[in-house]
Amino acid sequence: MIAVRRLRHTNGWIFGTMLFSACLSLLASFVLAVDAVRLAADPHTALSCDINAVISCGTVAQSWQAQLFGFPNAFLGLVAEPVVITIAVAALGGVRFPRWFMCAAQGVYTLGVLFAYWLFYQAMFHIGALCPWCLLVTVSTTLVFATLTHVNLRDGNLPVPARLSPALRSAIATDLDALAVTIWLLALALLVVTRYGTQLFA
Amino acid sequence: MGGQARDRSRELRKAQEAIAAQRGRRRPVLIGGAVIIAGLLLAIVITVVNAAGGSDGSGGALVVPQGATAGGALTVGQADAPVRLEVYLDYMCPYCGRFERADSGEIDKLVAAGTVRLELHPLAFLDRMSDGSRYSTRAANAVVTVADRAPAQLSALSAALFANQPEEGKSGLTDARIAELAQQAGVPQQVVDVFPDRIFEPWIARSTEAAFDSGITGTPTVRINGTAFTGDLYTAGPLTQAINAATGTQ
Repeated sequence: MIAVRRLRHTNGWIFGTMLFSACLSLLASFVLAVDAVRLAADPHTALSCDINAVISCGTVAQSWQAQLFGFPNAFLGLVAEPVVITIAVAALGGVRFPRWFMCAAQGVYTLGVLFAYWLFYQAMFHIGALCPWCLLVTVSTTLVFATLTHVNLRDGNLPVPARLSPALRSAIATDLDALAVTIWLLALALLVVTRYGTQLFA
Repeated sequence: MGGQARDRSRELRKAQEAIAAQRGRRRPVLIGGAVIIAGLLLAIVITVVNAAGGSDGSGGALVVPQGATAGGALTVGQADAPVRLEVYLDYMCPYCGRFERADSGEIDKLVAAGTVRLELHPLAFLDRMSDGSRYSTRAANAVVTVADRAPAQLSALSAALFANQPEEGKSGLTDARIAELAQQAGVPQQVVDVFPDRIFEPWIARSTEAAFDSGITGTPTVRINGTAFTGDLYTAGPLTQAINAATGTQ
């Protein structure tokens, strides 16, 4: 138990998790991007209505939310996730990035996470359909964000107020972050099955 | 010198106490967290088991409306009419609304004349298009209830629902608005009063599944004597001509 908890704070574990999650995210973005291109090529897919009413990438892909910036959102994943993969691989290889670099990475990725959750919210409560690849993006961006935050707090990279810093570090040291992420992801899963349970199995 | 050493050992002790205190303080938090995780897992399992168990529609008993076919259609018109017209629609589907506005008058006339026996399949596959309010199912339930209890008003209610069709992606008409439209269409109050009982939702869910299993890929789909009509559904005329042609071939 203690060995596991110590392992969790090693670079290998943190950047390994980050690498794995970023790869999942990249895979999901790739599939969604290809789907978006296919849909654009054949707009008639818009009229063929999928019976799996709740699990439907097509429904989500055709919403305005799926192209918030005028192009498929998945393109952003294709651009951003390889950078995360590069950072993770370099860190695993022993590279130490300067503080400003890690701060910037944290800032940009925070925007990405917020966007992912906005999309999740839209899909859950406004589009009314779920696409498995989008859910994978939600989960994997959460994990990347959690690992990035973990390492940045551990190494004191973030400009947090001096008063708050020891509290945050001790929270990390006692694994409260892992607890919070686990609870968060389970709560999301509960939300999904509560809202769409009967239809998921229909 | 001795003072410094004492200071140092005091500091060390203080640091150790701080760590121990911290561990002690965190323990209830960790236990609380574990309890929350266990609770969430349990809730997920219960929800999934419930959902998997009640997968036949809304969970209520299956009630088949009067005069329904085994294929999940409401029937309108004389049983011995020469042409069997199957119409698959969803009250949320905009093209179904266009079809209804173009052709329903003609269809009503042909039904009244005894030429056509209409088999209406009110589907509910666009439930996701109404902000989680399941408009397709609610509208279909009203229509099926009327078909069961006040069939003379079926056509009027159907027309009223399409005339007031909500936009896709918005929350759909409220139950109160559906009831109001039914009253305006002449549906007796005691029939309107049972809309909230959602009596026919299981049948609608089963019929929707049956329709897609039978090869429907979207709505509106119209079949004349079992053959899909591929002509223009959105202007009055072509469908009537096809029906009249089919009458000749019988």
